[in-house]
Amino acid sequence: MIILKTKILNKNDIGKLIIELSEDYNFYAPLKNENGILIFDKVFNIKDVILDYFNSKFPPKEILFPRTEELFKFKTDGKNIIEIINQPRTDIKNIIFGIRGCDAHAFNLMEKFFKSGNFQDDLFLIKKQNSILIGIGCNLPKSTCFCTSVGGDPFNKNYTDIFLSDLGDKYLFEIISDAGKKLLDKIEWLVDAKESDIKNAENLAKKSRTLFKQTLDLKDINTILDNQFNNTLWNSLTNNCIGCGNCAFICPTCTCFDVIDEFYPSKNIGRRIRVWDSCQFDIYTLHASGHNPRNNKIPRFRNRILHKFLYYPLNYGFLGCVGCGRCIQICPANNDLRNTLQALKLDKINKEKMEVKK
Amino acid sequence: MISTENLKISNIYVPMLAIIKSITSENKVNDIKSFELVFKNENDFKRFKYIPGQFAEISLFGVGECPIGIASSPTEEGSLLFTIKKMGYVTTEIHNCEVGDTLGIRGPLGNGWPIEHMKNKNVIVIGGGFAFSTLRSLVNYIIDEKNRKFFKKVLVIYGNRDPGEVLYKETIKKWKMRDDIEVILTIDKPYEGWNEKVGFVAPVVKEVAPSPDNAICVVCGPPIMIKTTIAVLEELHFSDDQILNSLEMRMKCGIGKCGRCNIGNKYVCIDGPVFSLAELKKLPNEY
Repeated sequence: MIILKTKILNKNDIGKLIIELSEDYNFYAPLKNENGILIFDKVFNIKDVILDYFNSKFPPKEILFPRTEELFKFKTDGKNIIEIINQPRTDIKNIIFGIRGCDAHAFNLMEKFFKSGNFQDDLFLIKKQNSILIGIGCNLPKSTCFCTSVGGDPFNKNYTDIFLSDLGDKYLFEIISDAGKKLLDKIEWLVDAKESDIKNAENLAKKSRTLFKQTLDLKDINTILDNQFNNTLWNSLTNNCIGCGNCAFICPTCTCFDVIDEFYPSKNIGRRIRVWDSCQFDIYTLHASGHNPRNNKIPRFRNRILHKFLYYPLNYGFLGCVGCGRCIQICPANNDLRNTLQALKLDKINKEKMEVKK
Repeated sequence: MISTENLKISNIYVPMLAIIKSITSENKVNDIKSFELVFKNENDFKRFKYIPGQFAEISLFGVGECPIGIASSPTEEGSLLFTIKKMGYVTTEIHNCEVGDTLGIRGPLGNGWPIEHMKNKNVIVIGGGFAFSTLRSLVNYIIDEKNRKFFKKVLVIYGNRDPGEVLYKETIKKWKMRDDIEVILTIDKPYEGWNEKVGFVAPVVKEVAPSPDNAICVVCGPPIMIKTTIAVLEELHFSDDQILNSLEMRMKCGIGKCGRCNIGNKYVCIDGPVFSLAELKKLPNEY
């Protein structure tokens, strides 16, 4: 990886940086909301920003892919539509400051997904294009983290524009992309980094990689999951699942949505919106006839796993998971994605051994 | 700094507007109606280039959108036909619409019948009940004077519960008057005044026994009819590549983004709705 420039940001200067960059950008950073939950939100008070965190409870996904997003508005004469008002905002510019490598990776997956096929989702793509991601390395991964198992890294700079490494009282401030380089023009006061700073950051990354509690070998996961559709193992794997859909709700790569019309009769104005949806819900696949191809939690659970670890590789050539571990952390039934994958893998290996014995 | 000047983005979720030109009740129960639609903006006809077997998302603004197969053939210029069964929230509200009302159309969507692949072949069209709309489109396309020479024999077998349920009665009457297409109608049980065949579709196909030589067979209908008919076709030595099917699935976006219509790694909305039996056999049985 080519680092375009290497600077130093003193922790005392974070406020200055935020104030200066907030002039032209919506400046998002990790902070605690009124319920004490760590999320990404617009910064109104510099003191709120928290950068020594494991990871945010909710991924920053909703900045570019909101829970509820307007597709267009329409006017009616009381009965019939008169006009469609299609004015998506193209001028909003964001900085997402302090984003983890896994979440930046997730934005990259979403971008590839929304670009794929004959229909490009410009509503998402324009926002992604207008956003600058300032990533931060993880000195200490959480016990649920497994990014290194899915092609990530605690110091994954690949999908960011600028990357920070926490060196104690300062950050190493590495410029990764051209967009990041342009941003640097606005904060010329940053001083150059020393060779020792770069060395220190490298050591932090090396150390962090050794701190993962659990790593999986998922290199051949799509071969392992191929032909597993009818495996009875899914029944026991799904035992605990209560179908709450939390795993999808906090997933940084989940993109499925529902489309709903809203109408205000008093104003004769309405809008069509999309809202987050989850494959764990009955109504997600329920036909108008009453038939439901995934009519219980087993096929729904299976679809979630296969979508991310088999269908994604088949359709796009990469996994649909970035290893952030949020689904493991939030699951009220203690289901652990790592154990699920491990169980499927072991089952396949055992069956192959049996075949050989026969 | 990112320049956002002159950034025009296309919004794939915005429908085109169309006016209901006519409404035809298709059955005795009156829960199936055909809506003839005309685009409000003339240019939208040029944008809407479709082939038989494709579908579109039909909107009633303030209510919602649902995917409906296109029943008209591109050879029938000047309007589009959608046959809609009163089924859920959106379709019920569409049924309450009147001539002159405005709907939204987003499409054409899906792959459609593989027309090029069907050329120079005998085409066998087998339909059951309400699932006949994109078959109407296909047959009208094939028998159009410009296209007829590209296809060999055309055989249509269409089954229904009773005579009152037969869709497109006027269109079928026209087909029956031609000598370059064979049309066989059947109903489940004998009915007074019915002079055509009686019996389920599968046994009728067995009796007619179309030859698989240089043929392609299109089957649409309720699951049980498809299952029994495919069994008969296999007996008649049709290969899996020669049998085509059009699937239905709950959909929202129709363009492969909202996620729900997948069967394995395929999306019915963009990879289908038309699949050959050979393709379906490779997919998990989840539809």
